[in-house]
Amino acid sequence: MSVLELHTAGGDTWFTPGSTVSCDASWHLAGEVDRLELRLFWYTEGKGTQDVVVVAQRAVERPESSGHGSFRFRLPEGPYSFSGTLITLKWALELSALPGEETARVDLLVAPTPVEISIQGLREY
Amino acid sequence: MSTIARCRPSENPFASHRIDAINYRPQGPTWNELLADLERLQWRAAVVGPEGSGKTTLLEALALRTQSAVLVKLGGATTSPLTAAITQLPRPIKARHTVFVDAAERLGTLGWWRLRHAARNGRGLVATLHSPGRLPTLVQCTTSSALLRQLVRELAPADAQGLEPTLDELFRRHGGDLRLCFQELYDVCAGRAGGPAQRWA
Repeated sequence: MSVLELHTAGGDTWFTPGSTVSCDASWHLAGEVDRLELRLFWYTEGKGTQDVVVVAQRAVERPESSGHGSFRFRLPEGPYSFSGTLITLKWALELSALPGEETARVDLLVAPTPVEISIQGLREY
Repeated sequence: MSTIARCRPSENPFASHRIDAINYRPQGPTWNELLADLERLQWRAAVVGPEGSGKTTLLEALALRTQSAVLVKLGGATTSPLTAAITQLPRPIKARHTVFVDAAERLGTLGWWRLRHAARNGRGLVATLHSPGRLPTLVQCTTSSALLRQLVRELAPADAQGLEPTLDELFRRHGGDLRLCFQELYDVCAGRAGGPAQRWA
């Protein structure tokens, strides 16, 4: 079984829109792996169709059985991480070994403040 | 009746990603029997049933159990159903491919025959349909309030007791469409004002 690890610099998980995310990936691969993919993406969870948008992607082709790498992504200005009544929007970084289903993942909060934006109370106004 | 705790969308037990993760459970034949039936039908068969009866869940489960499966999804396509179908097919279709088409009722007669023609060199064609006729019926999907209760217990064990007394009425009101039942249960757990939560709380 392959072991994949992914960490943001300093273990940070809160990032302001437009800022840069630095992360370190390391891997110990069991079996044939053609490619490692690191994806920065956002997705929704809640009612209705789930949206998934990959914002940026890096790849390591034909990786050595063990290795590591540092990567940087510039975040776009939006969308912000938020939670409403119908959906939650989340950001994440994910490292995948392909082919296969093994992944490592770090959830991120992308917002101007270190608290997820909540729009639950809007209907009260 | 118990009050259902309000929760965030990602934690809602009836969020769509949780519903999508439900595994199909055969209501009669076992998986081996279903696959043997498919073989007997030379891999040309239909999964038939109304909206929200589990056709897509079954089709996806069959595709997962089939080598070189090609899954074509026509529900929610923004282009014409035929264009959506053709663009999702591999080119060329090889003898090892089995094409699984979800929501094939969206194709008109001409589109359906074009799809059959495009898939003719493959191993088979399995489709979900609302009514029988285009292909031999493999399974007629049905639902029951007992199945709804079972799924609610699995999806929301903490809330199941509070939800249970109204599930029969919910099932009847939505004509057995489990997808609509889950959407309403989502609203209950989301505590949406003016919605069904007020009836349930």
